[in-house]
Amino acid sequence: MNRKILNIVVNGESHQVLIEPHWTLLQVLRNEIGMMGTKENCLEAECGVCTVLLDGKAINSCILLAGQVEGCSITTIEGIGDPEHLHPLQEAFIECGAVQCGYCIPGMILTAKSFLDENPGCRPSRDEIREAIAGTLCRCTGYRKIIDAVATAADRIALSGAKQ
Amino acid sequence: MSFDLHRPATVTEAVDLAQRFAPTARYVAGGTDTVIQINRKKIDPAHLIDVACLPGMSEITETADAFALGALTKYRSIETHPAFRGNLRVLLEAASVVGGHQVRNIATIGGNIVNASPAADFVPPLLALDASLDITGPKGRRSVALRDFIVGPGRTNLSPVEIVTSIRFAKLPARSATAFLKEGRRRAMEISVVCVAACLTLEASTSRCASVRLAIGAASPKAFRPQQAEGFLIGKPAGKESFAEAGRLAAEASSPISDVRASAGYRRGLVAVMVERALTTCLQRIREQNQ
Repeated sequence: MNRKILNIVVNGESHQVLIEPHWTLLQVLRNEIGMMGTKENCLEAECGVCTVLLDGKAINSCILLAGQVEGCSITTIEGIGDPEHLHPLQEAFIECGAVQCGYCIPGMILTAKSFLDENPGCRPSRDEIREAIAGTLCRCTGYRKIIDAVATAADRIALSGAKQ
Repeated sequence: MSFDLHRPATVTEAVDLAQRFAPTARYVAGGTDTVIQINRKKIDPAHLIDVACLPGMSEITETADAFALGALTKYRSIETHPAFRGNLRVLLEAASVVGGHQVRNIATIGGNIVNASPAADFVPPLLALDASLDITGPKGRRSVALRDFIVGPGRTNLSPVEIVTSIRFAKLPARSATAFLKEGRRRAMEISVVCVAACLTLEASTSRCASVRLAIGAASPKAFRPQQAEGFLIGKPAGKESFAEAGRLAAEASSPISDVRASAGYRRGLVAVMVERALTTCLQRIREQNQ
């Protein structure tokens, strides 16, 4: 096969991966780099479980060709916090009971992070949060608590930003 | 499914590659349509030419009397750009109903135009702004009005080796406003059942319509401007009665299909109502600007 070297930075770490031209970023993240927090489902950018951050912005990794992200920086759910140092969004999701089966949660948290990072210190309304996560489906339908969690995290991030 | 992915550094290099590998080559930008089409086996290119990282094609440029949008501009950039919160709000409103944030962060407006889907949400606003496209190909550059560019469902007058590089439109005169309305079966992540863009300018000292441009998506083989409805409104008092008549004329000019999303009759009904509402929204916005 016509394999090519792909250089990408995933969660701050540089990787060199030998890829085939038709591999998606999702395939590379899961199968080659082992970031299993990024989930696979619809493969058509409808459901959002494959969401990762590409240079800080949420995108669907299931329909992005890996060869198109040469030299880019990717953040997966593994890259935004760890059990000892949770991201405010992760803390809020736990506190608000926003996780049911959990399959959509990596995508949900990264979608929310991308949105909150666009306007540092913003406190979005519930409608704005709903709109921001519209591309990420929770088939447990736990949206109310997910919105609670994003609003809680946004408040805390805004407060800590104001103190600094 | 097997293809080579090429990553040219310049538009010229991209066009050269497309010529070399025609007819099995295809350009890809954000990939939100192309990759799905490949996965569904609707297309099977042997060579994909990645134009997403071509330099200088993602900028939104404002001059004294016009705007130029790079063809690689992302929907989210349109949505968050301060220039489109005033009388060009039609662009923000259309950009913000395409897919979810993940798609809007990477999908390009040029891709939406060249796909030429009858339901493309970003085409009616640009038609209502009378936009034109800058195109580069093997023979150099050319410009074409968007209304002449899309010729049918999925069909444009772009040759397979040409690239749309930017989209240009003039700023609006004083006492103008725009609006975009979309109807789907749900509020997000939806393909339009009908969408309508309107651009209204009032006469200087009266509330009569000086200029009207309407564009309707998903109600014909291609998004269209209902010229009779537009012509009818010129010189008429802006208000419910004339807007309703314009809606009726626009519905008459539409030729919708029945499909899984809606019947033709329902779509035609929507066109009438949505044209009236879009014009009413424009009128409200003009009044708010002048307060």
